[in-house]
Order: sequence, then structure tokens, then C-alpha cells
Amino acid sequence: MSTADWKNYEPVLIPDIKDLHNIDVYIKNGGYKALTSVLKDKEKWADPKSVINEVKEANIRGRGGAGFNAGLKWSFMPPADGNPRYLACNGDESEPGTFKDRKIFEYNPHVFIEGALIAAYAMEITTIYVYIRGEYRIYIQMMEKAISDAYDKGYIGKNIQGSGYSVDFYVHSGAGAYICGEETSMLESLEGKRGYPRVKPPFPAQKGLWGRPTTINNIETLAHVPAVINRGAAWFKGIGAASHPGPILYGISGHVNKPGVYELPSGVPILDLIHDVAGGMRNGKKLKAVIPGGSSTPILRADQLDGITMDSDSLRTVGSMLGTAGMVVMDEDTDIVDVLWRIAHFYHHESCGQCTPCREGTGWLEKILLKIKNGDGEVKDLDLLLDLTTQMEGRTICALADAAAWPVRFTINRFRDEFEERCKKSVHAFI
Amino acid sequence: MPEVIIDGKSYKYEGQHKLLQFIQDLGKEVPFFCYHPSMSIPANCRQCMVKVGQYIVDRESGKHELDDKGNKVIRWFPKLQTACNIDIADGMVVHTQETDELVRRAQKDNLELILINHPLDCPICDQAGECPLQIQTYKYGPEGSRFEVKKVHKPKRIQLGPRVVLDAERCINCTRCTRFTQEISKTHQLTITRRGDKNYPTTAPGTEFNDPYSLNTVDICPVGALTSADFRFKARVWEMNQTPGIDITNGKGCNIDLWTRDNIVLRITPRFNMDVNDHWMPDAGREAYKIFNENRISRPLQKLDGEQILSSWNNAVATFIEQIDNTENKNILVIGSPHASVEENYSLAKFSNLMGLNQPVFVPHLKEGAGDGFLITDDQAPNTVGCRLLGFTELDQKALKKEVVKASLVILLSDHLLDRNVLTHKDLDGKFLITLATNHSETTKRADLVIPVTTAAEHAASYVNVDGRIQRTFRAKETKYTNRRLDMEMSEGRLDRYGTNFDNWVTEDNKIDCLPVWRFISEAAGSKGLDLVLSDGREIMDEISSTHNPFKGVSYQLMDEQAGILLINDSKEKTNA
Repeated sequence: MSTADWKNYEPVLIPDIKDLHNIDVYIKNGGYKALTSVLKDKEKWADPKSVINEVKEANIRGRGGAGFNAGLKWSFMPPADGNPRYLACNGDESEPGTFKDRKIFEYNPHVFIEGALIAAYAMEITTIYVYIRGEYRIYIQMMEKAISDAYDKGYIGKNIQGSGYSVDFYVHSGAGAYICGEETSMLESLEGKRGYPRVKPPFPAQKGLWGRPTTINNIETLAHVPAVINRGAAWFKGIGAASHPGPILYGISGHVNKPGVYELPSGVPILDLIHDVAGGMRNGKKLKAVIPGGSSTPILRADQLDGITMDSDSLRTVGSMLGTAGMVVMDEDTDIVDVLWRIAHFYHHESCGQCTPCREGTGWLEKILLKIKNGDGEVKDLDLLLDLTTQMEGRTICALADAAAWPVRFTINRFRDEFEERCKKSVHAFI
Repeated sequence: MPEVIIDGKSYKYEGQHKLLQFIQDLGKEVPFFCYHPSMSIPANCRQCMVKVGQYIVDRESGKHELDDKGNKVIRWFPKLQTACNIDIADGMVVHTQETDELVRRAQKDNLELILINHPLDCPICDQAGECPLQIQTYKYGPEGSRFEVKKVHKPKRIQLGPRVVLDAERCINCTRCTRFTQEISKTHQLTITRRGDKNYPTTAPGTEFNDPYSLNTVDICPVGALTSADFRFKARVWEMNQTPGIDITNGKGCNIDLWTRDNIVLRITPRFNMDVNDHWMPDAGREAYKIFNENRISRPLQKLDGEQILSSWNNAVATFIEQIDNTENKNILVIGSPHASVEENYSLAKFSNLMGLNQPVFVPHLKEGAGDGFLITDDQAPNTVGCRLLGFTELDQKALKKEVVKASLVILLSDHLLDRNVLTHKDLDGKFLITLATNHSETTKRADLVIPVTTAAEHAASYVNVDGRIQRTFRAKETKYTNRRLDMEMSEGRLDRYGTNFDNWVTEDNKIDCLPVWRFISEAAGSKGLDLVLSDGREIMDEISSTHNPFKGVSYQLMDEQAGILLINDSKEKTNA
């Protein structure tokens, strides 16, 4: 299926089936078939390695934002030595504009559970944790219910389906910190510590949770796995953009008529997403800007969007990224200075404070932006902001400093006239 | 042998090294704050940024790839790297701030960021003068700041525990203190609270930072965020003399520095010794600075009609000799001390020997269960092993009492036996007690003759710790009879060097009227016409090393070179500390 006929796409993650969160309904609709096949069909899946190879072949690029091939990541795990190994599923989605995993927790938790179980089997993992942000209280409860149902049906626990493979599955609730969505600080948080990102190397595959080999995957990434097992890597690769294949959950929010989470192939044109999928601009206003993949991805002006599709290659040509495909659509009435201040406020509030450039830089960015927003800024402040972004970028342990710096740099570069207009008129006027 | 190229120079190395430590070991410098050689590496201050790359080598031919001009091509890491946590590797090319503009800029940027929320209150900050942030800002920091908005405000003057005060605004969140309580003292009492630029270290609610090693966090704090409640605002560091010494409050013999100003010891900090105390010392040892200043005995004391009065040295020597002469040798008991140095004990023993008195006895000062297996020992005295190696008779309380009953004259060296409850007043009834002591106590109050002697801060002498390691002290403060300017071994601070005796920051009162034990013994022996002249610790040690087998080969020079000498290798001989 190419990108062009996305209209005929049949959703697999969130199909329109009533009560799919119910394990009986899920099983009736072909659920846990992939897991059973992987565990028992020794002709098709000779060993765990074969599962990894298939997933690697499908090129499921991590849906948490970094876009790394999931199967390849799985293959980094060292050989099993009989000691504990962990799969940590990252459901801490907290980036402004991103709300796709919540849809999976709510509508189809079992497709994620099945995917996680397949991943665990493929990497010979003994324990799975799913880390869900604390604000998702109701979804934490739903996940707990779903996991306990799957235990009851014998899909999790000792000797799953008589295959001899055993695994445990736990839900862990976050406590409201964005930084715990960073994979290594999520591990710290799982260990009961303060959510500080770890210095890499050592990478989690070598020394992760409690010093043991650990793989960390996004919820949506794992949810794609059952379909890849059922329908094959070729099917998955045939969907959407070649370099970033497969279906994606687009979370569209902002000034559109029908905001929400839509499952479509990757590489759908941004303008199609706004006008056809999300029902067009609210109140018939004009489009001003789009943040394509969560608040950290560089903002795009409306005039940059022609022919741009939602995949990493196409977005790179206009200087942005796919991120988590959480699109924020803004109409002509939007105050860009206010938007940027709000984003900077978020990163200031969420910086863990471990590394100097991020701890001090995020606060400084916000304070200058507040000054500009209040009309007290000067044009030189804009250049200071741009300078600060280079002082922060690439100089910290995790990518939060980058995530805080990019929006500032690109928003100022792409909307500089609006910022200058807010600044005080120069006092160095020649009369 | 593998090699790394740092700033264009090639260095061979063996084994595994972290780049920052390797550069430091070469005597070069890269600025840093959070790194500490004895703790884990968090790489969070981001100050030690350097540019790291690798020569591109053709795998098959093993030859370096060359550019048009014939220079070796380097593949640089895409980002600057923190030197503290990167392992050096063969063929690694490193550019530090000395050769690379980008690195210089990155370090300057980082310092600008560190300083934006720092209060910059150096003029009233205790850390000023010994502050890595201050020093490195002068060296590598920006000329000014572009920060024109409001700084973050955080709690100030928080009494974290009995000995440590926190100023959260000065904190740069290097986490050295929290890592110290997690990794070294293992009390886990400190943690970072809040998030982002509101971060600061603190204890759990309702608990206090009473770690027995808490003051080490003050030493390792790279800014003035953690200060010592006791030392706060007492002195500027540049006014003080720093003199090496040994902790005499327990058996471990932690290496310390004594900080003095106008002959008053103002604080004690640990001095690095890998084989003894690393960079650390217990808080109790630091509080011992008071014993060098307060409650000191100055001028001999003699009992007249049941009351102690100030006497003179001539009188004291005369009385000392008179008492010995008037008592039968078998009725005299000479008691050495684990609290006194090897040289002091030796002098007493030599005198005792020449006079035909008993080989000194001693009572170890142990407190069962006080030790923690780290730097605090059961042994409360610094030189128990030294007494043993000198061949002194080790007695317990019962045995000592038996000996005391037989004696009518007791000569006691620097040991407060009444205060320690080893002896009671009743035991000493009707006996003449001569004590050579440093500080007033119950014991000296009872004594019929008190000879004031020098402390570990006033003489150079050696102590053997519980592990059998002999280490020595240096003269840190003057007595009435020493002169800093004439003594090559005494350190001179600014005030000493540039002042005169008439300056208002110099007081004669702080000099104690006391003598080293060996000087007093020599005086006493001289008046008896004995051939016994002991002039200073260095010579006494040379004498001991030639006469006492366990001390063979020991000299001050060797002790200084090797930071102490291990005298016994057999662990069985160590005390049960």
C-alpha cells in the first residue's frame, strides 16, 4: 500500500471493534494468535532468533521519537545466561502534543501485551515492566486488569501455553516527571530512585535495570509486533514510506475540527492529515504553523508544508523531525511568542537538573522569553536565545537540553519578524 | 605500548585510565567540578568537555589515512566529550582547552551557565580562596555575564545536621555530597530534592545529617554550599598556615592538615593518603582542634599545701629529681602512654633505664564497639602499637592497680588515667604523682607536679597506628620556646611572613609555655649529670631505629617520602581494633 491510498487503510492497532479491551473480544478477533504461533509453531519460528530477524526485517522504527529499528535493538541483547533480563516498556508519554499510547492502553491493551510478550520471548527475557505515567491513573488500572486477565488465560506467567517459556509482567506507575520518559532515567525510576538519566555507555542492553541486560521499547512499537508476526515483515514494509514503514498513530491536536488519534500509514501528507483526516481547520481559519512530532520537534510554517509527508526523510528536507507523530496544528490567531514561551516553560519545569547546561539553560530561556512576551525584550535577547541554544545542545547526558533548545532556535528563525515586533524598539535610534 | 595524543603530544600508557584522571596525572589540567577520584563518575557538571577523536587507520594495511598535505586524518566524535568518564584508547587524539577554540568556548559557556544562578557572594563566603568554582572561573570563565533576569532563590543557612550548614543558592548540584553519603559513609542521608534549577541537596524530612563523617562533604563541596557550622566565618583561608599532621583522636592515624592562624589551630582537614584514610576523616578527629588551643597547661604546676600553684621550670626540674632521689627505686612506677608519641615514650623509657627505674608500663585505651571498620577504631589512642613495639609492658586496669599499690612515686606520661576511670583517687592516696601532660584534667588536678608538654601540633614526632604504620607530625604552632622563622620545617602563612611581632594580629598569649617531653627529660638528666641529651624528634627516631629492631631503617626522611612506613606486616600483631 503506498502513501497515496491511505484512505483505504484498514487499522490494525485500533480497529473499530467494540470492547476490544476485553480479552475475550480480543481473542475472538485473532488476538494472541501471534504469541501462540511464536511459542509453539517450531516450523515457522525455530528459535527466538528467528523472531528477532523477522522484526528486524520489518524495520519497525521506534515510535518513541528516536526512530531506531526495534529488531536491531533487540539483537543487541547479550546471550541469555540464566540470570534476570528485563523488557521495560515505555508508556511515560509526556511530551506536549503526544497522546498516542494512551489510545492503546484504552482501546486495545492486549495488542501491546501480546507484542511485549513476543519481544520478551525473542530476547529470552524473564520480566516485563510497563512504565505508565502517573497522570494516566485510569489507564494504569485498565492495564493492570488486562494483565491480570492475560495471566488468567495463561498468556503470561509460568510455562505459557505449555511452551516452557515463563515471564512476569508488572505495571509501574510514574510520578509525574517528563524526564522519566527518557529511557535510562525510566530505569532509575523503576529501581525506585530519583529520575536522573544515566551516562551511556554502558548501554541498557549491557547494564540496564538493576545492572542486568534490558531493552526499552515504546508502547506503540511493541504494539506493532503481533501484526508483523501474523502478516510478515513484507506486509509491514509495504505500508507507508519506505524509509519509515508501517502504520503510525498520528495524534493530531490543536485548531482542527476533529482532533484525535488516527492510525494511518506513515508518510501521509501533512496537509491531508489536517484537512481530510482531522476535518480541516477550526472555524475555517487559516493554517499558520504545525509542530509535527511533539513539542521538541522544530516548528514548520504553513508555507513550508506543501508536499511534505509525515516521515523522517520528507520532514528532514524542511528541517524538522517525525518525533512521536504528535502533531500540533496552529491557526492564524496563534501568538507564536506565547507558544514558544509555553514550550520553554515546560522544559524548564521538567529539566531534572542533573547537567549544568540544561538545568541552568532551560530556566534562562524561559525567563528571557517571558520578558519578550511581556514586551520588555530587546532584539539582542533574540540573539542571546539563539546563542544559548548552541550552548545547551549536545552538551548534556540526555537529549532534554536538545529538546528544549530546538524549538527555541527554529521558532525564532522561522518567525523572527513576530518576535522582533514584540521587542522594545531600539534605544539606539539615530535622529 | 598503546599511546594517546593529548594536545599534540604523545603519551604512552598501560592499563585502563579515565581521560581526566590521566591528564591530571600528567600534571596538566582540565577544569571540572563533579568528578572525584574516590567516588563514582556522574559526568553531570559538564565542565571537563574536551574534543576527542581517533586517527583513521586502514584496517588491512594498518596505515594512517593521510590528507592532501600529508597530515593524519582524524575522525572526531560528533559531540564534545566529558573527559571524566571516557576511557582512553590506543590512538585517541584529544584536544583540551589549551589547543582548541571550540573546547575553550564550551568550557566558558558552561561556566557562564553555572554562574547565572550562583549568588556570587565570594566576599562573604567561607569557601573563597579555596573554591574550585572561583579558581576555575578566573582561569576559564567568561569576562562577564549576559544574565539580566532574576536569579533563582533557594533556602539559605539551613542547619542540615549538627556540624553542616547548607546554602542551597551556592550549590551547583555536582552531587559529590550525596554520592559521599551513598558510596563512602553509606548512611544515605543526603539526596537531591526538587527539579531543574530548583535542585538542592538535603536530608529526608524530619531527619538530620548526623553522619559521623559529615564534614567530609564540606571538604569536597566545590563551592561554599556546605560549610562547617563550627568553622564558619572564623578565618579566611589565605590567612592561615597549613601544616601536615596526624589525627591523634583514634588509632587509625588519619593524615590531616592543621590550619593555624596566630598559633591557634582553627580547623583540621583530612590529607590524602591512599594507604590510610584516602581523602576522608571522621568528624570526631576534626573537633580535636580544640585540644591544641583550649584548656592547655602553660608553665609547670606544683602542689603547695594541697593546692596547685604556678611554678617555674627550675623548680619543676628540681622537684622532679628530688622526688626520684628521695624514693627507693622499687617504689617508683613509670607509666608510658599510648596517647604520646614514640619519641616521647622512648625518652621517658631511656631516662627510666639510666636511672635504674622500671621499663615503663602502659594501659591501652580501648572502647569496645566504637569502631566502624572504616576510619573509626576501638582504639582511642594514636600510638598503642608504638608502645608495644618499644617493648613497654602492656597492663590492664587490674594489673596497673596492683603496681600502683606498691609504688609511692608515680611518673605518668600524657595519659588521663583518672578521667579514663583506670585509676581512682583512692588508688593514689598518699602517693606522689608527677604527670607530664598537655591539657588540664581530673588527673592533672590530682597531680603533685605537672609538667606541661607539647601536643602533636607543637612537636614533630611519630605515631604507629593500629595497622602498624608509623607516621609523623610537623610543628604547626609555636610554643614560648620555638620560633617559626628559625624553624625551617614550620610553615609560614601570609600573616607570619609579612607581619612583625608588633602587628595587631599577633598575640604572644597564644604560645603555650611548654616543652617537648625529651627536652624536659634532658634537663632533668642534665641536672643529675647523666649523659642524656635528646634534642629533637628526628634525632631520637634515628636513635630508636638503630636500637629497636621493629623500627629498623625508619627515619623522618623515609616517612616523608613514603607518607608513612608499615612496620609490621603480620596482621596478627595488629591490635584488636
